Amino acid sequence: MNASNDTLAPVISARNLRKAYKNKLALDNTTFDVAPGRILGLIGPNGAGKTTALKAVLGLIPFEGDLRVLGRDPRSERDELMNDVCFIADVAVLPRWMRVREAIEFVSGVHPRFDRARCERFLHGTQLKPQMRVRELSKGMIVQLHLALVMAIDAKLLVLDEPTLGLDILYRKQFYQRLLEDYFDEQKTIIVTTHQVEEIEHILTDVMFIRDGRIVLDAPMEDVGQRYVEVLVNADRLEAARALKPIDERSLPFGKTVMLFDGVARSQLAALGETRSPGLADLFVATMKGTYA
Amino acid sequence: MTAVQWSDGAPIYRQLKERVVAMMLDGVLKPGDALPSVRQVAAEYQLNPITVSRAYQELADEALVEKRRGLGMYVTEEASRKLLASERERFLREEWPLVLERIQRLGLSTTDLLQTAGGAK
Repeated sequence: MNASNDTLAPVISARNLRKAYKNKLALDNTTFDVAPGRILGLIGPNGAGKTTALKAVLGLIPFEGDLRVLGRDPRSERDELMNDVCFIADVAVLPRWMRVREAIEFVSGVHPRFDRARCERFLHGTQLKPQMRVRELSKGMIVQLHLALVMAIDAKLLVLDEPTLGLDILYRKQFYQRLLEDYFDEQKTIIVTTHQVEEIEHILTDVMFIRDGRIVLDAPMEDVGQRYVEVLVNADRLEAARALKPIDERSLPFGKTVMLFDGVARSQLAALGETRSPGLADLFVATMKGTYA
Repeated sequence: MTAVQWSDGAPIYRQLKERVVAMMLDGVLKPGDALPSVRQVAAEYQLNPITVSRAYQELADEALVEKRRGLGMYVTEEASRKLLASERERFLREEWPLVLERIQRLGLSTTDLLQTAGGAK
C-alpha cells in the first residue's frame, strides 16, 4: 500500500459513451472511472457491451462521448497509449505458422517496454519450447505464450477479454496465479471480463455489471459485501420481509423463500431469518433477470 | 493447487487473518517465523493483494506480526503470549458462562469438579 496520493487520477475516465451497431446500442450513456492499482471485473451477459467497452478503451472502434485512458484519447492518441496498455483477447490470435521464438522476437522488435529475459523466464516453467509453432500448441499453451509475452511488458493497464475462455480449470487457475504473483502491483491496473465469475470474485478489487450498454452496478468488492445481504426468510415473516423491498425473491422447497436486499441493515434482516452474503454469481443472476426474455 | 473454501459470512480478509491466528495458536507459526509474502498468498489463494495486505495489517496492528524492512512480515516474540491472553479473555467472556450454566443445571459441586480435575494438575 502506497502512502502517496497520486493514486487519485483515474486510469480510465469514461463519460457518456455511446456506440450503436445497426439498431442496437452497445454503449448507452456509459459512464465510469477506473482507479489505478485495482483489478476490475467487467461482467455482463452475452451482448451486453463488455467487448465494445474494452474496444473503445483500446481505441479499436469509433464511438461517441468522452473517454480518457491514462490521460489520452484512444481515438487520436492510440499509438502513444499502446506503450502503456496491453491486452489479451480471445480473438487476438497469433499466426499459426509462427514459432514461439519468432513471436518473442516480434514483440521485442515492436514494443519498447518488452523485457525479453523476463518473457523467457516465464516460459521456462511451461512446456513451451522456442522452436514450437503456434499450430502445434494446445489452447492452454497458446494462452501461456500470450500471457508470458504480455507480462514481460511493463504496462500500466492490462485489459483481459475472456482470457481463459475454453481453458480447463488447471490452466485457468495457473493463469490468475501467474498474474498475481509475477505481474500485478499497485502501479498496475487490470480489467478483466469473464463468465467464470465465481473463480475470480476474490481476485477482484472492484466490480462492474453491464447490461444493454449501461453500467448497472459499479462498486468496490468491499462495498458489495456490505451492501447486499441474502436472507432465508421463514414463511411467517414473508410480509415483513417484503415490506423492506427486496431486489429479488425466489422460493425454495419446504416453504422457505430467499430474498436479496440492497442496503438494508444486516441487524434488521437477521430478525427475518438466516442471513448470508451473496456471491457475485448470485448477484449477477438477480440483477440480470429477464435479459434473454 | 490449494482449494480454499471461504465461508460467505465474514469478510475474506478477516477470515484470512483468523487462519493465521489459528496457525499461531496451533504452533504451526512460531515467534520469529516469516509469513509468506502478500504476493505468494494472493497467488496461492487467488485473492486480490489488497485483501491479503489488509489481513496482514490487522495482525500488525495487534502486534502479532511485525514488518522487517525489505524482508517481510514476521511473527513477533510476544504473539503467543498476546494470543493466549486474548483467548483466555474470550473463553471467560463467551464460553465459560455457558459451561457454568450447565454445571449449575446439573447440580455439580466444587468438590465434584475438583475431584475430576485432580489428575490434570
